[in-house]
Formats: sequence, C-alpha cells, structure tokens
Amino acid sequence: MDLIRRSLLGQLARLSAGAAMVPLSSIASAGINQQPPRREGDPSKRYGMLIDLRQCIGCQACTVSCHIENAAPLGSFRTTVAQYEVAHQETGEVATFMLPRLCNHCENPPCVPVCPVEATYQQQDGIVVVNSDRCVGCAYCVNACPYDARFINERTQTADKCTFCAHRLEAGLLPACVESCVGGARIIGDMRDPESQLSRMIAEHRDELMVLQPEKNTLPQVFYLGMDERFVTRPDAEPVALDVLDPHGQEMGYEFRH
Amino acid sequence: MNSAIELLAPRYDIAWYPWAVQYFFMIALSYATLWLAAPALVFGQQRWLPTARLALLACLTTTLVAPVALLADLHQPLRFWHFYAYANSHSWMSIGSLVLPLYVVGVIVLSWLAWRPALQANRQAPGLAGLAARWLAFGATPIPRALLVLVGLGTLALSTGIMLYTGAELAIVKARPLWHTVWLPPMLVATGFIAATGLVMVLNRVSGLRDLSADRQMLKVMLGACLVAGLVAGSWFLDGINAHVGSVAAAMESVRDSAEWRSTALWGGLTGLALFAAVLTLLTRPASRRPALFAWTWVLGLVALHVGWMFRWVVLMDVQTVARHSAGFHHYGIPAGSSGILGIVGTFGLWLAALLLVDLLIPWRQATQGGSATDASPSESNAQPDAKSVKGAPSHG
Repeated sequence: MDLIRRSLLGQLARLSAGAAMVPLSSIASAGINQQPPRREGDPSKRYGMLIDLRQCIGCQACTVSCHIENAAPLGSFRTTVAQYEVAHQETGEVATFMLPRLCNHCENPPCVPVCPVEATYQQQDGIVVVNSDRCVGCAYCVNACPYDARFINERTQTADKCTFCAHRLEAGLLPACVESCVGGARIIGDMRDPESQLSRMIAEHRDELMVLQPEKNTLPQVFYLGMDERFVTRPDAEPVALDVLDPHGQEMGYEFRH
Repeated sequence: MNSAIELLAPRYDIAWYPWAVQYFFMIALSYATLWLAAPALVFGQQRWLPTARLALLACLTTTLVAPVALLADLHQPLRFWHFYAYANSHSWMSIGSLVLPLYVVGVIVLSWLAWRPALQANRQAPGLAGLAARWLAFGATPIPRALLVLVGLGTLALSTGIMLYTGAELAIVKARPLWHTVWLPPMLVATGFIAATGLVMVLNRVSGLRDLSADRQMLKVMLGACLVAGLVAGSWFLDGINAHVGSVAAAMESVRDSAEWRSTALWGGLTGLALFAAVLTLLTRPASRRPALFAWTWVLGLVALHVGWMFRWVVLMDVQTVARHSAGFHHYGIPAGSSGILGIVGTFGLWLAALLLVDLLIPWRQATQGGSATDASPSESNAQPDAKSVKGAPSHG
C-alpha cells in the first residue's frame, strides 16, 4: 500500500468515534503504572553490566555456573546465551552470533510497578529483586518483562530472576556468571564510581554500546559492546528447532523435560 | 541482508494459564449481564423484566465463579491475603483486587434485593425451596425500592471499575505489543456484551422461559455490540497501519509468519461477520415470522459465547506464545491437568453447579424491581431440578 493511502487511512482512524479514548491510555500507564520508591540496598552504588560480545565464545559457562549458584529448576534460566547462525546472503559465509541474556536491571523496570503486592522491587543500588516470601505467583511481572528475564520457579511457585548475584556482591564476590566467564566478556561494576572498570569501559566505548529493545523505554543497564543492531530487537531469524529427530524419525530428546 | 537461524534458545513457558481466560470470560459475562439486568431492575423499565430475570441469574452465577478462576491462576493461591496486606497502588492488578470483592458483594446484595419479595412469597412452599426461602428471606419487612436502585447504581459503577481494570491490566504491558493498545479494553467490553447477550438467549431457551421480547431485546443489544466491536477492530487496524512497531504491526507479523495465526484471524473474522449477518437478518424479518425464527436464537447465543471466549483465548493464551526476544513462536499444548483442560472444564462445571443451585433454591423467575412479597406471585415451577435445564448449556472449550 502506498504511503499516501496509508496515512489517509490513519487520519480516518483518528476521526473514528473511539479516538477519544486515546488520552485514557496515558493515564493508565503514567498515572497508575508509575515506579514505586526504591528501597534497601546501598544508595551510593548503581550496579550495571557490560557484555563484551567480542570476547564471548558461547561456551555457556555463565549459564551453568548461574544454574548451580542459584539452583534454578531444570529448563529455567536466569541467564543464558542465545546462539544464531548468520549466513551472508551473497558470499554464503557463515558466522555464529552469541547473545548472552539476563535481567537488564532497567532504570525504568516495567516488571516492578505491575506487582500487586510489591514483592518485586528495585533496590537503591539499581538491582531488581523478588521477595519470594511475599510473592503471590500471579506472574504479572513475567508477562511485563520484554526480555524473558523472569520465570515462575516451579519449586518455589514464585517469580524468579537474575539478581546480579546480590548475595555474592554483598560478600565482596563477583556474580557467578562473571566469575566463570572464560573470555572475561562480562564486566559488572558500580557506575557511580568513575574509577570502576565498568565506568571506564562505558566512557571509552560510549558510542558503540547498545542495549536491548531501547524503544520500550525501559532504560536497560546491561550494555552490549560489539553488538549487531539486528539483534537489539526481536531477531528476524528462523526459530530454534525444539524437536530434533534422528534418522529413524524418533525425537532425540536433547531438550530438558520437566 | 543476511539470513539467520536461531540455534540455541530456551523454551519459555507461558506465565498465565487458561484460568486467566476463564476469569476474563466469567467476569465479562458478569459485568455485561449486570448491565442487561439494569434497565428493569435499576431504571424501572417494566418491558425489560423478563430479560432482567435471566440476566440476573447469569450475573450472580458468573460473579460467584469468576474469582475462583482468578484465585486458581495464582501460583500461591493461599497467599491471596497479601493483596490486602501489601496493596500497591501502582499496580492495576492491585486496584482490581480492591474493586473485585466490592463488586461481588454488590452483585450478591442486588440479587438478594431483587429476589427477596419472591423468597418471602415462597416461604410456605414445600421442601427445599420453602426452607431456603425461609432462611434467605431474612424476615418479612418490605425493603424500599430506592435501596435496590441505590445498590444497583453502586454496583454498576463498580462494574465499570472492573471493565477498566481488566482492560488496563493488559493494555499497559509494553512487553507484549499485541496487548499494548488502547483498543484492547473497549474490545474486551464489546465482546463481553456479545457473549452476555448470547448467554441470556441460551438461558431463555434452556430455562423454558422462551420469552420473545427478551430474545428481541438481546438481538438488538447484540447487534449494537457487534457494531461497536467492528468499529473498535477497524479503528485499531487503521490507527496502527502506518506504524512499523506496535500492536497492529505485531499482529500482521504473527499472521504473516504463522499458519495458526492466519487461520485464527480468518475464523474470528468470519464468525464475527456471520453472527452480525444472522442477527441483522433475524431482526429485519416480519413480526409474523418471529416466533418460529426466534426459537433458534439460542444457537446464535452459543455462537456469541464462542466469540467471546475465543477472543479471550487468543488474547490471553495465543499472544503469550509470540516470542519476545527470540525467534518465532513458543509451542503451547494445553495440558490435561488443572492448569489446562481440567481447569477449563472445572470452571464451567462450577458455574453449572451454581446455576443449578440457584435454580433449585431460589424463585429467580419471579425476581422483581424491589418491594414486598405481594409484588411477587408464589413460585410454581422453579423448584424442579429439570434435567432439560442443563441441556445445551454453554460448556464449549
């Protein structure tokens, strides 16, 4: 459809009776859906992470160490590395693209205001956590996160997510995924400390850094270096084959079964 | 442009189960049937009394069952009291948890006020019906009609709160572009009215009431609801057709990439159009042919219930299968257990049980616009648990 016709149709829509409801939406998302005040945590710090994709080899050491450290149930992940095979359409040259994913500990986290019991909240150091003793398991936050960072833990029946290993940070240790990364691709640190490695790298690569789904206005605080912009939003790719068959047509069953 | 294949990504489960569909369906039937009962009960339109009697029966029973389905969708249902101990005014769900119980109480009190004169008149009835009438009537003092009107107006106001919060709860979720549109809340209300008018038509038939005026009124409301739904859907589409992101773009992407979404869109569109055409045809027939034709409105009622339920299934379940930051669609097969088929069937079963209990114990056919026992004639036939009254009840799923 040509542009003029499309914009004409758009104008038509604005004239239609229901367009009066549009202002209602701003009340719904701004007035009520605002961020509640942050609580707990060290107000002098703001944790963030930089992932240097040039160093990531897709070994999943972060996935495994996080799984062991945080005892997530099989099949559920607080962090994981998605992998894509990308073929150049002209040369046919094939490369693998790695996309480590975890909670972005957003500056404007959409998962926090939706919680009906304030079980999930943002600490003053920016880390988004869940109080699993209070969580009712309504899973609203799971739906509200655009990054698939949350899941319902089948053992606790409450919302579960990456906490930047807050318990380890408190003890002066690095998060499990950072500790185990063989290429040193994951850098965590305090962005309020200009001398931290994270702050220095952010300053150095400011123009090359990308975040996931910036258009959602969540202001993610996990920054990617060496990112291909086509993976910033939902990748336009052939989906992963979850049912892999052997030569006899039987499912090979590599997938975790609950 | 390069081509890419996703080699490795986790399987992401859906977070809200079919319980959510059942809640959204039941609560929509509830608020819409309340508005169908309102012309006679609250605003005193005598012509609407048969409709109001059927609608009030539907309203009370769905209102009782809906919160059960909602509770079941929590992974920690026994912690429901946290909603009140730690209420969060920033969350639409929390606001809903405050409106919902008030609304439920409002509907129960309204039903009691409308049924009380008949209950009082029924005190001498033999058996269970008489016993229930003596217990539930709570004395013989008449209640002024003004009180019923007051409770009715309050409950109607609360019902708009339910419409608003159930819609806004979904529409604010930016993470799911298909939900994130202002057109979703009015569409939920419009399809809710389509389903509710359908339910009244079905109840009109299976209860043996077979009131022609109720059928005609419901056909008119259904026609209006179909028109509103069509207008909303059209506006949604035109409003977003220019955008490269947003709910229309996401919908077109899903329809382009998935055969299931294509057939769903086709089925939804065709069923809606067929329903609209059938309603229009029935309403424009000459008066002499109406009795014969209106005997079949219950079939339209079932189609309307199907439309209302399917819309919620697509919005709540199918949308959750659209991947957010990985490629394609997540697989979802409805499990057999309580988070799947059993939950769906169980909710409808519970509703049927509530319906039969009310039919067994309460002279709902004599519901009045308030007043005293003299306004209601004693019950004659409603105390029979008639096997026919369950036949053809909506239990699709």
